[in-house]
This record gives sequence, structure tokens and C-alpha cells, in this order.
Amino acid sequence: MTDAETETGNPVLSVRDLTVTFGSFTAVQDVSFDLHPGRTLAVVGESGSGKSVTALSIMGLVELGTRGKVTAGQVLFDQTGSGDAVDLLELAEADMRKVRGNQISMIFQEPLTSLNPVYTVGNQVAEAVMLHQGLDKDGAKERALEMFNLVRIPDPESRLDQYPHEMSGGMRQRVMIAMALSCDPTVLIADEPTTALDVTIQAQILGLMRELQTTTGASVIIITHDMGVVAEVADDVVVMNRSRVVESGSVYEIFEDPKEEYTRSLLAAVPRLGSMAGTSEPSRFNLVAD
Amino acid sequence: MSDLNDVTSPLVSVRDLTKRFPTPGGMVHAVEQVSLDVGHGETLAVVGESGCGKSTLAQMIMRLLKPTSGRIELDGTDITEIGSRAMKPHRRKMQIVFQDPFASLDPRRQVGKAVAEPLLVHGLASKGSELDATVVELFEKVGLEADHVNQFPHQFSGGQRQRVCIARALALEPKLVVADEPVSALDVSIQAQVINLMMDLQEQMGLSYLFISHDLAVVERVSHRVAVMYLGQIVELGDRSHIFENPQHSYTKRLLSAVPIADPRRRQDRALLSGEIPSPVWADGTSPTLVDHVEVESGHWVASED
Ligand SMILES: Nc1ncnc2c1ncn2[C@@H]1O[C@H](COP(=O)(O)OP(=O)(O)OP(=O)(O)O)[C@@H](O)[C@H]1O
Ligand SMILES: Nc1ncnc2c1ncn2[C@@H]1O[C@H](COP(=O)(O)OP(=O)(O)OP(=O)(O)O)[C@@H](O)[C@H]1O
Ligand SMILES: [Mg+2]
Ligand SMILES: [Mg+2]
Repeated sequence: MTDAETETGNPVLSVRDLTVTFGSFTAVQDVSFDLHPGRTLAVVGESGSGKSVTALSIMGLVELGTRGKVTAGQVLFDQTGSGDAVDLLELAEADMRKVRGNQISMIFQEPLTSLNPVYTVGNQVAEAVMLHQGLDKDGAKERALEMFNLVRIPDPESRLDQYPHEMSGGMRQRVMIAMALSCDPTVLIADEPTTALDVTIQAQILGLMRELQTTTGASVIIITHDMGVVAEVADDVVVMNRSRVVESGSVYEIFEDPKEEYTRSLLAAVPRLGSMAGTSEPSRFNLVAD
Repeated sequence: MSDLNDVTSPLVSVRDLTKRFPTPGGMVHAVEQVSLDVGHGETLAVVGESGCGKSTLAQMIMRLLKPTSGRIELDGTDITEIGSRAMKPHRRKMQIVFQDPFASLDPRRQVGKAVAEPLLVHGLASKGSELDATVVELFEKVGLEADHVNQFPHQFSGGQRQRVCIARALALEPKLVVADEPVSALDVSIQAQVINLMMDLQEQMGLSYLFISHDLAVVERVSHRVAVMYLGQIVELGDRSHIFENPQHSYTKRLLSAVPIADPRRRQDRALLSGEIPSPVWADGTSPTLVDHVEVESGHWVASED
């Protein structure tokens, strides 16, 4: 996709001046960004800067699951690219429920808390597939098995019958990913999707997301602390610090010509493989002053 | 296998440690005959494929999971089978930072109390302003603020919760910290700050770390030695420079070459894997082949491949 196309095409998702508060604390302040069809937008930045709260707001989950309040802003969703977008923040919960997990699905940051401990993982994935894709029980189980294979869960057939606590951290994360990808979403929001994965399986997961994009034209928002992952997959990058967007631009602009001091300090702090060659003792990181 | 480690008088010594889980689909060989030592003041990193048994190993060392077989010694005492009373004086010496921070915090308890509790339980402090000050100091060390102490776990971001768990583990000034992905939810600047703190404590108090991480650049930075695990077994173990500068096992090489580079102009096209996925689950009457280790240079052990 060329830059000209992106500029003229309608964004599939446009977050405008979003502000979210928890009591007197403002977790997200005037956050705006556009997600274009088929593209990958990375949201990076400080721990606690509002990345997950922004994602939960798009999903309509911040007022539902927490004491947060969206006090201003819009989340415009234009599934067909027609130009007449709906503001997801204005949708009734019943309508939002159809969007969630169907057109927009999310991989949550902490897999153990978003999986139900008393149901097998196979049941949970099949349940999601039945709900959103209208498959019958057998069809759903087959789809779940297919997804487990794609995310490289070993022995997928017997793993379907396991409970979350019987799986490793990274396997649970892959179950969440399987669930989110199974419904072929228009927009996938992935909040730290690969923190529990080794780099070989991480590469597989990032590849799967790319495949989803090329076959269905899906768009992806990925929240991550891993700048290697950003460099590998992102088209555009939004940098957040202290509840606000401090800088946004193409992945090349952000990596090669960062304008803001915060972005520069973030990039400078990235640990690089091979930096310790020729030494034997561990070594502290040089801290860049805030 | 028992000479895989030549650390003199190690703090922790693990020999032939094995954990198997019977499941309806077969026996899961989660950890198979693992031997390793962690020296005083040493950081031993454990890396490997997701599901290769790292957390299971960590939990056995912490005595949170009973080994199927094998032995664990702490400071020369065999702690594999000893009862909880005999364990009490040793318990303080080992702390763990769990992989899943949310699940390891009580949702109904303010996080300051969670950090203070181990100090109270071990009689190292009594309730009052001094304890409160200690907790605040710990919070500030991990980059949290003083008024965070009165909040509940759900009111934090993922990375903030992870820091609460780190503060809790450090509170008792243990000798060994088993850190299971301790910095995976932190942005790079706070990650650097927390890792520097961990290194400072190591220098000041001679702390040892068993450091489990998928982030190889961080591992390269913090570790003295590195163990590489694959399907429950150690496939390569050596000094940090052995593993990073002279990797020998095919899995170690595969791992190092898959690390994404933080430069958008150096993207790599990686083909999707398909076909058979290696699994630690074995049907009745079958079991994995145990690897043999060869010392390729002093202190650098590699599993033979054929
Ligand atoms: N349920 C809640 N109640 C009160 N405060 C909250 C709640 N959820 C989040 N916050 C606060 O909102 C801020 C933003 O949190 P958020 O989870 O969006 O951070 P983040 O950028 O995702 O950080 P991380 O990288 O650590 O996951 C944090 O300061 C957090 O303490
Ligand atoms: N209670 C259990 N019952 C059955 N199998 C289990 C149980 N606990 C762990 N396992 C299995 O043991 C194996 C090792 O899991 P472990 O959590 O130790 O992996 P890990 O190396 O920590 O992986 P990750 O990097 O994904 O966290 C996995 O196949 C897992 O499914
Ligand atoms: Mg978050
Ligand atoms: Mg684990």
C-alpha cells in the first residue's frame, strides 16, 4: 500500500480526542489516531501511560468492566470504507456486543485473567467460534483445532481438553490469540500479545497476523514494549507518555527521525543483542535522564 | 551430567530434577533430568521455547511443586523432601516473581499490604510507621509512587503490577530470587531501571538470580551463565559469552537468529511453520530420549545431536 492511498482512503478506525478518567485521575487525555485498512499501527510508550485503557475504550469495556469513565472523544468505526462511520462510544451495549469479538477482537494483556479457569481451553475457543461464526458444535471444535495448530500449540488435540492452569504462560497466550483470530476480525487489537513467547514462536504469531491481513484485509493495532517487534511489523507508530500521545508517524519517521525527546530516550534504552560481545560480567544499563 | 556445573559451593544445586504430569492425552514430560547450579552472587539465565518447562523448574526449586524425582539443595541442605517446619529457616532465603503478576496478587488486598505481609510473617517488622516507610521505599525503588500503596491490583497497569511483585520479592532481602519473566511488561526505560536495581542488590548483598526470560538482549546483559532448555531438557549451558558468541546447539542458533532487530529496514521475511509440532506429551509405554552432554570448551556443555 502506498502512502498516497493511505492518505486518501478512509480510516477503518479513528480515535478522536479520547479522554478517560478514573475518579480524579486522567488515564487517557485527548488521544487521537487513525488506523487505515490493512495496516498495522503500533502503540508504544511508558508503562502506565494509558495504552491498555485506550484499547479497552475502543472495545467499549472500560465503563463496563472498570470504574473508568470516557469523558470525551469519539471512536469512529467504518467497516466498509464507505465513509459513514459509527461512533462506537454511542452504540447501545447490545449492538456493541455484536461488534466485539466479531468485527473487532482483542487479545488481552494478561491471558490468565481473561481465560475462565473452570472450562477447558478447547471449550472456550469453540464457544467463541459458535457465538460469532454460527458454526455448530462439531464445526466449532474443528475450527478450534485448526487454530491451535496454526498458533503452534503442541499436541493440539489433547490440549483442547486441558484447563488454563495446565498450560504454560505462552500456551495460554496462544489460546487467547487463537480465539481472537478465529473470527476473522476486521480490526484486531493485540495488547502485548507475545510477552510470554520465545522469539521463534513469536515470529510465527506475527506471521499469522500478517497472513490474516493479506487474506482478509484486516487492520491491526499492536501494543508492545518490544521495539524489535515494532520495527518488524508496524506501518505506523503512536508513542504515548503520561496519558497523552507525544508523537506519531510512520515506522521510518519514528525510528529514523524521532522528533520528541521522550521517543528518543525510549529508542536509546532498547537493549540490543550483541552489545556485550567480548565481555563476561553483567553490566548495568545507562539510564537516560527523564 | 552431574558435572555439567562446576560452581564451587553453589547456593542452589539441582540434580536430575524431573517433573511429569499425567494427563488424559498422555504423560507430559515437563522437566526431564535437569541439573544445574546457581552460585552465590551469580545470575543464571534460563531461556527456551515456550512450554519447555522453565516455570515448572522454577516452581520446583521454590518447593511450590513436588518433583517426580531428583534433588534440590539450598546452601548444602537437601530441601527436596524436608517438612515445612524444617524448611522455615530456609524459606526466607528464596523468593519468586511469578510470570503472571495479576494472578499472584490478592485482588481484595491493597498492594502495600501485599508487600508488607512477608515482613510481618517473618517477624522482620511490626506494624507501624517504620514498616510503612520501608514499603514506600521499596515502591520507589521499583519506580512506583508512595500513594500507590493504598491501591488495589486491578487499579494498576500490567507493568505496574509486575513492579509490585518485584518489590514484594525483594522485601525480605532473600539470597535467591527466582524471577520468571520479571520485566516482560515493562517499557524499556523502566525495564532498565528495574534491572539496574536488581544488579545493585546483587552487588550489595550477593544475591543470586535464576532469571527466566524470552528477551535475549536482556539476558545477554544480566547473566553470568545461561542454560538453554528445549522440551524439558537442557540442550546447552555455558558462560554468557559461550552461548551468545559461540552457540553450538541447533536450537540455540535458531533462537538467536529469530530475535527481531529494532530497525524497520532490516525486516526479515520468515516463512510460516507448518507440520509436526514437537511435543512433551508421550503415550503410555513411551518416553523421550535423554540427551548426552559434551563439554566443548571449559564450562560449555552441549547436548549431542544426531
Ligand atoms: N481500573 C482502574 N482503576 C484505576 N486506575 C486504573 C485502572 N486501570 C488503569 N488505571 C490507571 O490508568 C493508567 C493507565 O493504565 P494502562 O493500563 O492503560 O497503562 P498501560 O499503558 O497499558 O501500561 P503497561 O505498559 O504497564 O501495561 C495507569 O496509571 C493505571 O494505574
Ligand atoms: N498442572 C499441570 N498439568 C499438566 N501439564 C502441566 C501442568 N503444569 C504445566 N504443565 C505442562 O508442562 C509443560 C511445561 O510448562 P511450563 O509452564 O513449565 O513451561 P514454560 O517453559 O514456563 O513456558 P512459557 O515460556 O510458555 O511460560 C507444558 O507442556 C505444560 O502444559
Ligand atoms: Mg497495558
Ligand atoms: Mg512459564
